[in-house]
Amino acid sequence: MDAKLLFAISCGKAAARGSRMLGRPGSSLPGKVALKVYPWTLRDLAARAQQGTILVTGTNGKTTTNNMLARILQQAGARVICNREGANLITGVTTAFLRETTLFGQMEFDWAVLEVDEASFPGVAAQVDPRLVVVTNFFRDQLDRYGELDRTVAVIRDAVERLPETRLVLNADDPLVAQFGELGPSAVYYGLAPHARVVERRFRVREARFCPRCGGALHYAFYHYSQLGLFRCPNCGFRRPAPEVEGLQARYQGERVACTIRFGEKEFPLELPTQGFYNLYNALAAFAAGMTLGLEPGQVVPSLETYEPATGRLQRFRYRDKPVYLNLVKNPAGFNEALNLLYTNEGAKDVFIAVNDNAADGRDISWLWDVDFEVLEELQRDVAGFVCSGLRAEEMGVRLKYAGVQPAKILVEPDLKAAVHRTLKGNGAQAFFFATYTALWPVEKLLRTRVTPEGRGRDVGCRPSLP
Amino acid sequence: MLVVGHLYPELLNLYGDRGNLIAFVRRCAWRGIPVTVRELVLGAPVDFGALDFLFIGGGSDREQGILIEDLHRHRDSLCEAIEGGLVVLAICGGYQVLGHYYQTPDRVIPGLGLLDFYTQAGPKRLIGNCAVEIELDGRPVSVAGFENHSGQTFLGRVQPLGRVLAGFGNNGVDGTEGARYKNVFCSYLHGPLLPKNPCLTDHLISLALKRAGMEMPLVALDDHLEERAVAAALKRAGVTVSGKT
Ligand SMILES: [Zn+2]
Repeated sequence: MDAKLLFAISCGKAAARGSRMLGRPGSSLPGKVALKVYPWTLRDLAARAQQGTILVTGTNGKTTTNNMLARILQQAGARVICNREGANLITGVTTAFLRETTLFGQMEFDWAVLEVDEASFPGVAAQVDPRLVVVTNFFRDQLDRYGELDRTVAVIRDAVERLPETRLVLNADDPLVAQFGELGPSAVYYGLAPHARVVERRFRVREARFCPRCGGALHYAFYHYSQLGLFRCPNCGFRRPAPEVEGLQARYQGERVACTIRFGEKEFPLELPTQGFYNLYNALAAFAAGMTLGLEPGQVVPSLETYEPATGRLQRFRYRDKPVYLNLVKNPAGFNEALNLLYTNEGAKDVFIAVNDNAADGRDISWLWDVDFEVLEELQRDVAGFVCSGLRAEEMGVRLKYAGVQPAKILVEPDLKAAVHRTLKGNGAQAFFFATYTALWPVEKLLRTRVTPEGRGRDVGCRPSLP
Repeated sequence: MLVVGHLYPELLNLYGDRGNLIAFVRRCAWRGIPVTVRELVLGAPVDFGALDFLFIGGGSDREQGILIEDLHRHRDSLCEAIEGGLVVLAICGGYQVLGHYYQTPDRVIPGLGLLDFYTQAGPKRLIGNCAVEIELDGRPVSVAGFENHSGQTFLGRVQPLGRVLAGFGNNGVDGTEGARYKNVFCSYLHGPLLPKNPCLTDHLISLALKRAGMEMPLVALDDHLEERAVAAALKRAGVTVSGKT
């Protein structure tokens, strides 16, 4: 064992103890300290994986896809290291390993399954030499931090190009992701076939109106949402690749989403214990990754069907008899999908939206104006009331008003506790809570004290941290 | 009928800037003023003279490069319309193209030269909440938004839109923000600017009505939500306000 690595491990662990004593969860500090002491800490620890490392990146769906994949591997009997949500920078990824190693650097595991922030991807990929990389999708996200989407895609593209031995699992429906198939590493594609619900409403947020290869205008036979759909470029011939793993007949079954997975010639029914068609994408990505690693569909599907959502990923609670959902919102594409939930669910509902503008949320909240809240002009008939909260509650109220929501239905209550209370007491038969990143945990905590969570626990895909 | 133009909506659509148009159109609709919006797309013929209000949003550097060529072909038409009183709101990248040029680290992007100012890339991006005091009909008004630009703009013989209360403004040095010439209003403020600054929106609507020959006093609207929003934004920018703005 290298002395520098051992020293880095002990420093990292000391930092973890220190931050716990200060009452902070310390999800990135230990990694930060260890990398400072010895810059190759991550490389050396990841090299211990008996089977290898898997990275999941992209704008939306990273956490869910990653946790689904970790769960699939664990249930197949593998020992898995996994980073927890929010800790997806290089420091957080390193912390995930430190948590599992002893002071003497001992740890035994088969797989490291890691979600990685787009901007951190090149740095992490260069250290861990991934066996598999899953790319979910690319949308605009917190522009003030990352610059333009073009640059984000280019950065990941360059990093992937430097991994000729790595296998790729790519979303066939997103032209910005599908273009990676040409980079050299062999790619497996997943996608959704057209279904009954295909774009009843045309959302305006489409990142790739232009062909990523030649710049020409893309033609679409249909959209799933945003720029995801059946695309082709009349100019250069770039088109949606035929996916090896395809979700057929996507549909709602009560409060669940379902589809039939076609894998090669065979078909397997899948029913997820959650809502939102985007979760089908996450499940198809995890399934495709599982197939690429040589697992059996009969093993993988049951793992997906018993998956429990992580914090704020359409997490379910119950308040008295009322179903309550909590969902993170962080960019226009994700928020549009969240609004979609309002009209896939029948009956009156109360809607809570908390918007913070701390660094982790993105200090610029202009993106709220790129969300198609205009769909609410019609939908508001089924909404008992909107409660706007958080540091920028007032701006959110203005956004709803200018989207055409009746001012009488808009309540601005910046205080989270009072706002949560008002929403739960609303007249709707269901309640939907949407929150930006730094508002999510306080809201979850408030909900936990008042409502019953459904399911046994959270973050089931990941092992709980060792003390 | 007020005729509103949205210049290059496909390319200039950064940071929720379309919210400015949403606000303009809604505040007309709430007063029963008929409005039609024309999307002015790349390569299509444009008659700026037929517009009452033109909105130009911000875009990335790549998008700005694509559109400047097309825009140069319409320069004279736009110049004539502006001299004739066309009401324009230009934000960030849309603001920069109206000046002489934008000097980036590796090239000079020629502007339309309609207003007397130039822009050069600064050493660091100017990002953050921003508050500005502007004067509307002789009355000072505090407006707030979010700026995010690497270009630093220096004004020649043209008035600034306002005075920086907090943030960077045009260049972080001279305390000016934006530019104002005839009925042209330029600003670096995203956020977007108009929805939570209804005094400015209404000012633009009044000017556009005048240009359309439909001059009328505007019916007062209930703006308490907007007032709370601008107060919150001013507070986030570090400016404390007493009473209404
Ligand atoms: Zn093409």
